[in-house]
Amino acid sequence: MVMQIETEDQTADAEAALLQRYAAGDPAAARLLAVRLTPRLFGHAQRVLGDAAEAEDVTQEALLRLWRIAPEWRSGEAKVTTWLYRVVANLCTDRLRKRVSTPLDEVAEPADPALSAHQRLQDTARMDALQAALDSLPDRQRQAVVLRHIDGLANPEIAVILEVGVEAVESLTARGKRALSAALAGKREALGYDDEQHG
Amino acid sequence: MMMNNMDSDNGLEALFEQARAHPPRPSEALMARIMADATAAQAQPLGFVDRLRALLHKLGGGPAVSGLITASCLGFWLGVAPPDGLPDLAGQLLVQQSDTAYEATDLAGFGWDQDEG
Repeated sequence: MVMQIETEDQTADAEAALLQRYAAGDPAAARLLAVRLTPRLFGHAQRVLGDAAEAEDVTQEALLRLWRIAPEWRSGEAKVTTWLYRVVANLCTDRLRKRVSTPLDEVAEPADPALSAHQRLQDTARMDALQAALDSLPDRQRQAVVLRHIDGLANPEIAVILEVGVEAVESLTARGKRALSAALAGKREALGYDDEQHG
Repeated sequence: MMMNNMDSDNGLEALFEQARAHPPRPSEALMARIMADATAAQAQPLGFVDRLRALLHKLGGGPAVSGLITASCLGFWLGVAPPDGLPDLAGQLLVQQSDTAYEATDLAGFGWDQDEG
């Protein structure tokens, strides 16, 4: 556990150090930061928004803000990733508020696994089902569930990102998981879990 | 058909695990746009306002700088127009520069008159 915390701190320091190098004019630092951070931010935005094009825009905007704030960045005050996740979360919230909510019934059903000969197609169907279920959650629950269970962040860090208390994060993730279970309850057989269990 | 709690937790965890194992990948076009932004932001020289903002940030932000300005103004005002009971050092210095008659001034209390001979 201690080792894990030290590793996370070292990672955070490495990103802050890269940002300082970028601010000092090192062009290689920008590429290293982009390679490290873009997949995480894009993945999160896509899970929350359910739309790749919008997720790309949000990711680009968040990193643009990072490049601009680099000369003023003060190491030790905040983790670069926490700051970025917060920017992405706020950008996603803004976009979600502008949308008209879509009930789960209107979300496309996952592809019928009976037509899929390959495991890869079934995996795709499962991910589509998960995304459809995520899309049906209220915005804050979806953000909390994605940050906790897919991005793998700890509750205190999620609390900073979502600007709520740790207890609120626990409540959001618990309610989110219950809602996901309910949304996926009737799709277990369609997603092939029963086949694996029995076969 | 409803799954019981244990089944749903296991099923959900399996889905989460699969999602973690296969994250959505950003396109090459996105990476190119991000690098173009980074290069442009890095190459852009800081304007006067940006440099001023950076300086204010290094001094501790708006509240700290406003406190610094207030303290400076107060200090200046106390020097120019001291309240009763405080020596009028600014006035005495100005008088001393224009008029060499500095006897019986408060400056003598610091021994500066002795150093001057």
